[in-house]
Parts: sequence; structure tokens; C-alpha cells
Amino acid sequence: MNRFSKMAALAVTALLSVGMAACSGGATATSPAATSATSTGPKSGKLTVWAWDPTFNIYAMKEAEKIYQKDNPGFSLEIVETPWDDLQTKLTTLAQSKETKQLPDIFLMQNNAFQKNVINYPDLFSDYAKSGVDFSQFPAGVTAYSTVDNKNYGLPFDNGTAIQALRTDVIKEAGYTMADFTDITWSDFLTKAKAVKAKTGKALLSGQAGSSDLIMMMLQSAGASLFDAEGKPTITNNPALLKSIDVYKQLVDAKVLTEVNSWDEYIGTFVNGTVAGTINGVWIMGSIQTAKDQSGKWQITNLPKLDGVEGATNYSANGGSSWAISSNANYDLAADFLNKTFAGSKPLYETILPSSGAVANWLPMADSTVYSQPQKFFGDQPVFSKVIEFSKQVPKNNTGAYYYEGRDAVSAAITKILNGTDPNTALDEAQKNVEFAMR
Amino acid sequence: MSLTLARPKQTGSGRDRRIRLEQGRNLTGWLFLIPAALLIGWMSFWPMFQAFVLSLQTGRGTRLNWAQPLWYNYQRLFSDDIFKLTLENTLIYLVVQVPIMLILALILANLLNDRNLRFKGLWRTAIFLPCAVSLVSYSLVFRTMFATDGLINDMLLGLHLVDSPVNWLGETATARAVIIIGLLWRWTGYNMVFYLAALQNLDYSTIEAAKIDGAGSFRTFWHVTVPQLKPMILLTAIMSTNGTIQLFDESWNLTQGGPAYTSMSMSHYLFELSFQKNPNFGYAAALSYAILIIVALLAAIQMKVGDKRD
Repeated sequence: MNRFSKMAALAVTALLSVGMAACSGGATATSPAATSATSTGPKSGKLTVWAWDPTFNIYAMKEAEKIYQKDNPGFSLEIVETPWDDLQTKLTTLAQSKETKQLPDIFLMQNNAFQKNVINYPDLFSDYAKSGVDFSQFPAGVTAYSTVDNKNYGLPFDNGTAIQALRTDVIKEAGYTMADFTDITWSDFLTKAKAVKAKTGKALLSGQAGSSDLIMMMLQSAGASLFDAEGKPTITNNPALLKSIDVYKQLVDAKVLTEVNSWDEYIGTFVNGTVAGTINGVWIMGSIQTAKDQSGKWQITNLPKLDGVEGATNYSANGGSSWAISSNANYDLAADFLNKTFAGSKPLYETILPSSGAVANWLPMADSTVYSQPQKFFGDQPVFSKVIEFSKQVPKNNTGAYYYEGRDAVSAAITKILNGTDPNTALDEAQKNVEFAMR
Repeated sequence: MSLTLARPKQTGSGRDRRIRLEQGRNLTGWLFLIPAALLIGWMSFWPMFQAFVLSLQTGRGTRLNWAQPLWYNYQRLFSDDIFKLTLENTLIYLVVQVPIMLILALILANLLNDRNLRFKGLWRTAIFLPCAVSLVSYSLVFRTMFATDGLINDMLLGLHLVDSPVNWLGETATARAVIIIGLLWRWTGYNMVFYLAALQNLDYSTIEAAKIDGAGSFRTFWHVTVPQLKPMILLTAIMSTNGTIQLFDESWNLTQGGPAYTSMSMSHYLFELSFQKNPNFGYAAALSYAILIIVALLAAIQMKVGDKRD
């Protein structure tokens, strides 16, 4: 009897749970409300959006919603907070199981992941051809991330332009000003950073061990990449890469770049004041400004450039993200909304800049008065208009579909090189691993 | 209603009737089994079969084609340096961590089974508690503790045991060691509970008899307790082997597989292949089958070696 009742219980529970799963499945599978929009007059309807940062991109979306609602009172957004890793996993799963009906109308995507996703899963995206967005109002280096076969798939949101941020009070002790770190080369930087280290004991840079962010920024600053135009890996026989790794090794050996193991530690190095500067995408300013006690002591300038490398510049980029319109979208409404806000609204960018530090990629913002206002934290420098100036000069490079494979292989190579492996051997191995991954 | 059907009827006897009754009962049993069996088949075995079919295909994303030859993905495993490295890492975790953990668990269980021990509940709870912690959160706590400016380095520096902070997660050997320490902390108590349960089923008189015969506590433990725990030791060994080979959370959260892949587990690599890099699901499925084969082989060997029952 006992066994029977157990079995019965099991069977009932199992059936119940299936029923519940089916119910909840049905409940979540709400198709985005697709109230058809006429091409003229106020539009109404609801769009679903996936983005990941409540204080940054989600906040920006909410502000955009408010602005669009002024002319289109019947419009609303449903923003679902989805961390980037989850978003990528969701997209992959939906595409793989061909459940594109579950896609939101708009989702945010890391620029570096754009090529990979568009090439592998074209079914997830709608291109911007019929959106009316003027992509010439965005820097070419940024739209290149989300352009596949000359079609635009992403509307650039946050700016990834790289900056060199330094503590003016620390470099002053060694007799330097920001001018001494502007338009310089990496060998100049090394000399000056060593002098600062000798005088103050502080390194000027820090970074996560096993992360090749800085190397990738150096590469892009010379318009170079790990892949050629056909998407073949060019990790070996890549003078810009060899030079970048050489510079990186010198920085670490001279102890002017402190390596740490996690992102939190990296942020900690300059917030705690043990490191007196950093080079990263402009979004790093948000983290720098958490050190309230250092207000007024920071300033920004452009990057050092690689010595003796063809096409080297003082400008680069790291990160940034773009809005994609999904293949399941209420296309007309989504395109019109994005076009009137992120590609057409000065008030939007002027609202989100001071409160979230989201710097626009949209070039017409460069002469906005909000952008040219001096920032107290950065020693009254008008940092934001400076960043937009930099962003126009960032060389474009090809991230390719295999960007993450390339980046991780190079990261592993750098770890080995720092432990004494010959650079050419380590890079050969990296090239081999990437070629293997692409096979 | 079905239950009344199954209830043995008091009236009547005779062989035929009993057989029919038995058949009826069996039938009801099978009826009850069918939903669960169908569900398991549909939700567990069917996906496994699909994964196998997937492992015979190549291509990125949704553009999949049959591999040429069909076993191409399996062949590919043998020339994949990163896979070999992750296999080596996983085997190191297995060979170092599982024996240490099981021996520790045995010793702890034996100590806590002492009839004269006070506050038994307290000790047992304390040792079992780590199992109630989520894998992700304990991994993150360990990462913070073993950071260059973390608790462990502060302690070592304070005690003057080291001159400069140890870069725990930045060096291959120490990164692997931290993962092993984490696993020991998290899982020893879990295995101990199994041993404790088994110990409570032991006839205490066997241990008393050994003591009266003049055996020391180690001899009693080794020659009397351990042989009687053998089935339980086998069970825990198979479970821990299985768990360690499928290790993911620690590799992902604690070290992110670094430095240069030298602490990455196989499952972590599988995840990377599917969701982080260019999605290569065919190859990832082949890798998951490789993991299945390794687990099955090891379990088979352990059963062969460990289980002498017929």
C-alpha cells in the first residue's frame, strides 16, 4: 500500500508540475503588443526592451520614453532588466530553438559582440535600412561594430571612446602637467610614468591580469586588429600587436602598471588612490567619480600612441553598446522611437549626461552647451565635449565574428609572455588556437 | 479510485485467482509509472538523444550541417589543446580533492559519532552548514578572501608568514589550490552526513567488541568501521567523482578559468563554446558526451573495484 501511495503521489506531482510548467510557459509567452502604427500622426503601442544597467542604459531608455511620450501619448515601454551575460545566453537559446517570437522589440548589445551575433543569427535582427536613421551623424569607428555587409544593425548608444585619466596632483609632484601626457608616444609615457613612480611610489596604470583590454585599445589606436578584412586571424606577423605586447610587458616590468585579478580590485586601485591614473573607455569616468574625496584632482587627455607603427594615432575605443531592433519587433514604431530619441533628441542626451555620465555617440551633441560645461570633478575641464572630439578620430577596425576567441587567445598569450615565454612562440600558439576554433 | 482496484480482495483463493490479482496489481503499478516514465523519457532521454544527434553536426549558430565524417566533432576533441588542458585540470581536481575530502569526511563522521561527545548537534550543523550556501555566493566569497588585498593575504602578512601578498588567483598552482580548498570546504560536510547516517546503522557492539579485544581507536576505525561503511564510501566516491567532473560554478566564479585557461574545468569550456564564443553547439554537444563517457567509465571502475557484493 505504501508503495502504491508513493507512486500515486509521484505521478500526481509529476503531472501537476507539467501542468504548471505549461501554464507558466503560456503566461510568459506574451507576444509584444503590436498595435499597428500609422506612418503619420501620433503613434501608440507598447515596446519591450532588454537592457542591463538600471543607472545607465535602462535609465536612458526611461528618459527616452518620456520624451517620445510628449508627442505620442499612447506610447509606452516595458523594460526588462537583463544582465549582458544573460541577454547573450537568451538570444543564443532563442535563436537556436527558433523561438524568435519571444524576442523583445529592442535590445541592447555590446559592440564587440555585434558581428558574432548578426553573422551567426541573422534571424534575430532587423536592419536599419527603412528606419530613417542618419548614420552619418555617428562616428564611423562606432557604427562599424554593428555593420555587416554594409547594412546597419545597431544604433550606437553609449560611447566607448578611450581616455587617459590622470591624477593631476600626483603627476605634479614629479613636475608634470596634463600637457606632458597629451599627444605623446608610449615610450614618452614610460619614461614619465617611471619618474612619477620614483617620486611618489604610485603606478599610473592598473589592469586585470589575463585581460587584454589595454592591448586591444593599443591595437585599435593604430587601426589594427586581430583579424584581416576577410576575417582571417592575423595574430602572428602583426607588428602592431607585437609592439603593443612589448609596451605592455615594459609597463608591467617597470611596475608602472599594477596587475590585479578582478574588476572590483581594478576599480579599487584608483578609487583608493594606490594608482594615479587609468586608460579605458569613457564610461570608466563613472567609477572614477565614486571617489568623492578626489574631486578636482582628475583630468583626462588622449592616449599615448605606439612608436614606429604605421597608422598609429592617439585615439581608441573600448566597449560601448548599441540598440538593435529585433526581427520580432513592431518595426515602424521601434524605428521611429529610436530615430526620434537616440538619433534625434538633444534634450535626451542633455538629461542623461549629468545624471548618468552616458556620453553620446551622436555627433550633433558636440556643440551642446551641456557637453561643453566644465566638470568640477575633473578640475573644471569640459571633459564631455573633449570626448566627442576624440571620438571623431578613433580609427575603425574589424572586430570580426571571432572577436572573443581572438581576444581570449591573446590574453592567454600575454599571461605566458609575462611568465617568460618568447612572444613569437606564444602568439603562434594563440593563432593556432583561434584557427582551430574557427575550423 | 484506482487504489481500490489495487487493494487485495479478501474473498477467494486458488492459484489462478492469485495470478490474476498479481497481474492486476502489476498493471496498476505500471499505470502509475507511465506518466513519470513518459516525462523522464520526454524531458531527459529525448534531449539526450537530440544532443547526440547535435554532436554529429558542425557549423556555427543555426547553420548546422551533418559533419564529414560523422564523428568529426569527437575527432576534433583529440586535437583541441584547450580541451586537453581543461581535461587535465579537471582530473587534477578529481585526483587531489576527492580522496582528501572523503578521508576528512570519514574522520569527522567518526569523531562526531562518539557517544561521549557533547554538543553533537552544534558540531554537526557547523560542519554541514557550508552545503546550505549557494555555489555562486561561496565562490564569490572565496574570490574576495583570496584577492591580492584579501583576508588571507592580510592574515599571512600580519603573521609575517609572507613578505609580499601572494597572487593566489594569478598563478596556476595557487589558483588550482584555491578551487580545491573551496571544494573541500563546500562538500566535506555533505559527505560526512552520509557517513554519519551509515555509522548510526552500524551495530555498536562490533565496535565495543573490538575495543574489548584491545584494539586501539585507529585499528577499530580501520578494521571494523571502514569495512562496514564500504557501500556508503562507494556511493560517495561515485557521487563526488561525478560532481567534480562536471565542475562549473567554481571555475566560472572563482578564477574565470584563469590564468591562461589553467584552472578552467571541462564544463566551463563547454559553456564558453556554446554561449560566450561563436556558438558551436555541435562541438559542445560532443564535449558533453565526452564528459558523460568519462563519468560512466570512472563509475564503472569504482563499482568494479569497490563493490564486492554479488
